[in-house]
Amino acid sequence: MYKILEKREIAMRNTWYKIHAPHVAKKVQAGQFVIVRAFENGERIPLTPVMWDRDEGWIVLIVFTRGKTTMRMAMEMKEGDYLPDVVGPLGNPAPMERFGKVLAIGAYTGIVEVYPIARAWQKIGNDVTTLHVTFEPMIILKDHLERAVSRHIVEPVPLDPNLDLKENMRNVTKRLTEKVREMLEKEDYDLVFMVGPVGDQKAVFGIVKEFGIPMRVDLHPIMVDGSGMCGACRVTVGGQIKFACVDGPEFDAYQVDWDELIHRVGFYADMERKAMELYMAGLMSRGVV
Amino acid sequence: MPKLIRGRVPTPERSVEERVRDFNEVNLGYTFELALKEAERCLQCPKEYAPCIKGCPVQIDIPGFIRALRVNKENPRKAVKEALGIIRANNALPAITGRVCPQEEQCEGVCVVGKVGDPINIGKLERFVADYAREHGIEDELLMEVVPNIRGNGKKVAVVGAGPAGLTCAAELAKMGYEVTIFEALHEPGGVLTYGIPEFRLPKEIVKKELEKVKKLGVKIETNVLVGKTITFEELREEFDAIFIGTGAGTPRIYPWPGVNLNGIYSANEFLTRINLMKAYKFPEYDTPIKVGRRVAVIGGGNTAMDAARSALRPGAEVWVLYRRTRKEMTAREEEIKHAEEEGVKFMFLVSPKRFIGDENGNLKAIELEKMELGEPDETGRRKPVPTGETFIAEFDTAIIAIGQTPNRTFLETVPNLKVDEKGRIVVDDNLMTSIPGVFAGGDAIRGEATVILAMGDGKKAAKTIHKYLSS
Ligand SMILES: Cc1cc2nc3c(=O)[nH]c(=O)nc-3n(C[C@H](O)[C@H](O)[C@H](O)COP(=O)(O)OP(=O)(O)OC[C@H]3O[C@@H](n4cnc5c(N)ncnc54)[C@H](O)[C@@H]3O)c2cc1C
Ligand SMILES: Cc1cc2nc3c(=O)[nH]c(=O)nc-3n(C[C@H](O)[C@H](O)[C@H](O)COP(=O)(O)OP(=O)(O)OC[C@H]3O[C@@H](n4cnc5c(N)ncnc54)[C@H](O)[C@@H]3O)c2cc1C
Ligand code: SF4
Ligand code: FES
Repeated sequence: MYKILEKREIAMRNTWYKIHAPHVAKKVQAGQFVIVRAFENGERIPLTPVMWDRDEGWIVLIVFTRGKTTMRMAMEMKEGDYLPDVVGPLGNPAPMERFGKVLAIGAYTGIVEVYPIARAWQKIGNDVTTLHVTFEPMIILKDHLERAVSRHIVEPVPLDPNLDLKENMRNVTKRLTEKVREMLEKEDYDLVFMVGPVGDQKAVFGIVKEFGIPMRVDLHPIMVDGSGMCGACRVTVGGQIKFACVDGPEFDAYQVDWDELIHRVGFYADMERKAMELYMAGLMSRGVV
Repeated sequence: MPKLIRGRVPTPERSVEERVRDFNEVNLGYTFELALKEAERCLQCPKEYAPCIKGCPVQIDIPGFIRALRVNKENPRKAVKEALGIIRANNALPAITGRVCPQEEQCEGVCVVGKVGDPINIGKLERFVADYAREHGIEDELLMEVVPNIRGNGKKVAVVGAGPAGLTCAAELAKMGYEVTIFEALHEPGGVLTYGIPEFRLPKEIVKKELEKVKKLGVKIETNVLVGKTITFEELREEFDAIFIGTGAGTPRIYPWPGVNLNGIYSANEFLTRINLMKAYKFPEYDTPIKVGRRVAVIGGGNTAMDAARSALRPGAEVWVLYRRTRKEMTAREEEIKHAEEEGVKFMFLVSPKRFIGDENGNLKAIELEKMELGEPDETGRRKPVPTGETFIAEFDTAIIAIGQTPNRTFLETVPNLKVDEKGRIVVDDNLMTSIPGVFAGGDAIRGEATVILAMGDGKKAAKTIHKYLSS
């Protein structure tokens, strides 16, 4: 059992959990993830340690409230509660090399995965610029990143109440791709790295490719065990089947079969929607919301 | 000499209509009276001759435990206690092996009575003994006779993986006084028994009970620890006097057929893990989703394929097992094939997928299958499937790939000097010691896909050789 030492909402739909998980804290490196089971009847979901203290034995997870599990965590978990299971660290650490000038991009809560990697890259002598594109009320880790890298750029996109979510998200993609193009035109980068929704990753890759710059991405297929046992996380990279949990999560963007991955992450969308609706209806009938 | 009774005393099973819509156990097992009747059929072959003992991978004294039932027929409790004691000398988990061993190829396959009638129903008798003992507190009684006599010897052993191999090894070592810690990657111990084999074949309550017993012997089980990542091999080496590796063969083989990553195509492991470990069949009461379409193709012919097929059937799908050889060459247990047939799983033999065809949304729509014919026998003695070049297309919206597993590699990759063969199996000597002194291995990790009883046999043998190694 893993105690929640601290929980707070740090931005709209973004919750900060400081968790006692000494076995993870002791070993985790930038680029790795954990799998959390937050409830006895819960799903196993992958999340990223954003910060950690090896001596005190805690890790910080920043979780975007997306579907039922993350919503349940936001609604039902309190400081002092316990998560039944946190396993990790899983996946491979991000490669620690001197790439030179790096542009590290995070879309939405994807920036939480960028943070530990960008910070470590800067520390070993890279010149790292980070770019965070998200809705205005969802900006996170700004101060942390400003302290950690050469330059941190935030591109807030206003949330337009007259538009539906899809249209709003299209604005983020638009802003993201425009900004990346603008930056690549202005300056030479040796490497682009990006974390965010797979559709946005593909869109950004489309631009980076035009410039012929190397690009690496952390991929987010659906996972179950996170240890190479189930094969749910398989992605096609360079024409070969890879398991993102043990071969990744970082891959060469030029090798990824993007369309396949986009299809695969959407496989359970209808069931996820139904689960969320039922859950919300439950909350409403109990007068919680 | 008792009169030979050719026919078996059948074990009651739940009706097909009732069982195909739920995940409760199919076979109900013997009562004491029925078990006794079946036990009476045994010819009590002399121990040094009894073919059933030779057919058993761990050489259980089968006539001995059957005799214990018969001679104590007035006192069921005594009968079962004695029988269990005999079984336990060679097999620590009879409630499990009684349910999942391929008896028809092992003890029952060579039983003398089988030459003229049905072989003695050894598996179901074993299961009866274990179930009766559990339900009547006899197990706990036996355990309580063992536990107070355990004397710690101050030595520590680490076991990697809480499957049948690791659990057996740990229990045996604990009884000898070792301080044993099992490290398990998943949130629940049990290995395939927990995440792979479905409830209707092996109720999880029984697995839990066995796990409790192992813990009562003093074994520590640490879940959520992926050895190689959470703890390194070097750390284990430093902290423990010996190590047993029972990491199993949990990596699904996924042949790169075109379209194999379309939505709706699962590895059997993912499908079964969602169902067994995560209880996806209870969605949305449990959060983990699973999608079973209307027409499901299960590719393969082993136990895993049967488990996947019967699990897919329960939510109401039409399920086809597609196998590239014929029924005769299938590796699944006969009882499971029979249950699958009864429940309405359909079989298509001598076919092999050529490619998976998707719709415009990336969902599986159909499979192009190639017809096969049987050629010469291969190294397993079974006739090899040979492609004919003739293909056809069959519509399916879900496919489950159950064509085999290879040893788990996460841990192996972090121990570069551990010798493995070309199939990724850990190489061991006659003492089950690996290329690294003090490091032992067993179960599917050294055999590739094998069986529960062989994994347990390895665990037990390794415990003995570890003891020898640490006492010399
Ligand atoms: C390596 C990795 C690291 C991640 N790190 C973070 C993080 O630090 N912070 C964060 O907010 N999110 C992170 N995610 C995403 C996070 O796992 C999903 O947001 C979460 O699983 C959604 O669960 P849900 O039940 O709330 O939503 P659901 O309604 O169940 O699903 C919404 C969407 O989330 C994704 N998803 C759902 N279940 C899984 C699963 N088991 N595995 C992977 N993706 C899934 C799918 O794309 C799905 O369509 C990470 C994902 C991966 C693979
Ligand atoms: C669906 C299915 C049905 C089957 N049906 C039958 C049957 O009817 N009869 C039969 O006899 N056999 C059957 N088998 C085969 C049988 O289950 C296996 O032979 C047996 O479980 C092997 O035992 P094991 O202890 O070697 O490994 P496993 O049972 O595979 O256990 C290995 C354990 O190690 C853990 N692990 C792996 N790597 C690490 C790591 N790095 N750190 C920590 N933990 C780790 C895994 O999570 C797992 O819990 C079946 C197999 C499957 C998949
Ligand atoms: S071979 Fe058959 S008849 Fe002979 S002892 Fe074994 S079970 Fe009994
Ligand atoms: S999550 Fe199961 S193999 Fe990667």
